Amino acid sequence: MKIEIRDLEFSYPAGIQALRGITLTIGSGEQVAIVGQNGAGKTTLVRHFNGLLQPTSGEIQIGGWDTRKYSVAKLASRIGYVFQNPDEQLFSRDVKTEVAFGPKNLGYPNEQVEILVHEALEMTELSDKTEMNPYDLSPTWRKMVAIASIISMDTPIVIFDEPTTGQDAANIARIANVIKVLRERGKTLITITHDIDFCAENFERVIAMSQGKILLDGKANEVLGQEDRLATTYVDPPQLTRLATRLELNDTIIREDMFLTELHKKLTRTL
Amino acid sequence: MQERLSFYKKRESAVHRLNPLSKLTLALGIVFVSFLSPYYWTPHLLILFAVIPLSLLGKVLREYINAMLRLILPTAGFLFIMQALFQPLEGVELFRFGFLHPTQESVLFAFANATRIVVMVSSFTIFLLTTHPNELMTDLTRRGLPGQFAYVIISTLQIIPQMQAKAQTIIAAQRSRGLDTESTFFKRAGSLIPLVGPLVFGSLVEVEERAIAIEARGFTSTRVKTSLNSIPDTNKDKLIRWSLIVIIIVTLASRIWLS
Ligand SMILES: Nc1ncnc2c1ncn2[C@@H]1O[C@H](COP(=O)(O)OP(=O)(O)O)[C@@H](O)[C@H]1O
Ligand SMILES: [Mg+2]
Repeated sequence: MKIEIRDLEFSYPAGIQALRGITLTIGSGEQVAIVGQNGAGKTTLVRHFNGLLQPTSGEIQIGGWDTRKYSVAKLASRIGYVFQNPDEQLFSRDVKTEVAFGPKNLGYPNEQVEILVHEALEMTELSDKTEMNPYDLSPTWRKMVAIASIISMDTPIVIFDEPTTGQDAANIARIANVIKVLRERGKTLITITHDIDFCAENFERVIAMSQGKILLDGKANEVLGQEDRLATTYVDPPQLTRLATRLELNDTIIREDMFLTELHKKLTRTL
Repeated sequence: MQERLSFYKKRESAVHRLNPLSKLTLALGIVFVSFLSPYYWTPHLLILFAVIPLSLLGKVLREYINAMLRLILPTAGFLFIMQALFQPLEGVELFRFGFLHPTQESVLFAFANATRIVVMVSSFTIFLLTTHPNELMTDLTRRGLPGQFAYVIISTLQIIPQMQAKAQTIIAAQRSRGLDTESTFFKRAGSLIPLVGPLVFGSLVEVEERAIAIEARGFTSTRVKTSLNSIPDTNKDKLIRWSLIVIIIVTLASRIWLS
């Protein structure tokens, strides 16, 4: 499902202008990462997608639905949004109720809700924690509950707001796996992240934001190669990319396999 | 510290600089005198010569007038009308309308009572506008008020704004997951039900977490505690407090002997 944003501007009531003219199209089934310094406006941007925030000017279409004309509850059938902070998102007494809340509201028949909840719990490795209170789980597992409660809604678009921030390596691997499965199912995925390695490994398109505007937008290796411009929004390219630049390898490298191939080529050339 | 969690207005003024206990004594003193004085015009004079000058001195006149117009006067006006009409005292009848027959005495009595209410609420409004709750509690606990008591007062003052903020985030989370909160009245009312549980439950969890947090910092320790913020208590403060106590005693005495 396609997302189209035209000339989006937004100011918070307190007067801070958080978005200063954003035009952007995200195609159906694309995997996009959004990077940029704290306060660049990433969260503010994605909160417009499901109507939690309304544009001060400009417009957003979600699969042809103008977000100004549809309620948040309606848009929820097309967009799942995993909040940055799970504590702002979780409110049920046990994991299973929490995960079933979304699909029930969307009006799936009961058997379908059961299946969706089961799948979401499986994918997030929560199957043995269904009866637990989310508040009794560790922050890393709370994050997984927050993710499960959104993917159980089976929406064509899923947004993750800083999914890996504060997570341990094991949980980052779990989250990467969820993203992989969703990609295989053809979902449109938008992920805000500070974890540039995570970004390089899992996303094809990268958007860098700075001070309410889009700074760079393109294929992951094109964007992540622009060290100087990324520095203006306090993003460092992945270590591998920087190493490859210093070694003067051809092409911008963002993944291990690419690095090894190019290094091999260069060595055979020079030896 | 988020200032919207209290009435406090941060200003630089002589009233702000007073010790919190002096301000509390002042507020209570004004209330005592207006209720105990045997003279009819005392509450009215107190508004003119104590309450309004204090709000000027404390640079909170605008906020005070705002509170006056929106809260204090409507409440007092309502009390005045009810008492004047429904508590007929013996005396000169003003008019008769059905079973209502207010007298000159009942009107005068109601007027004095309403003014006393105005004095009481006004004097505490100015007190709250010029005193940070944390400062008040720090000062009172330092003088021996049990910490538990201070905690109850502070958390009561903050619970409503905190609950409001929490309700907002829960509503946003639930709407993002398809809960319809904005169509018909019945749907709106119905959508309150899933809110109540998490709100109450979440608040209880927060209470527990806060209890653990303050206990981890030695809340129930019986040792004498020191405070990061020193709150000045000058000779001027002591003079003000003692004068107020004398004034209160004199008023009490005149009440006993003059009436
Ligand atoms: N609820 C809010 N009220 C007022 N200003 C806000 C609010 N949320 C964010 N902002 C401001 O908007 C700007 C963008 O914030 P945000 O979208 O959260 O950035 P990011 O997610 O990229 O870190 C920042 O300057 C931030 O201080
Ligand atoms: Mg953010």
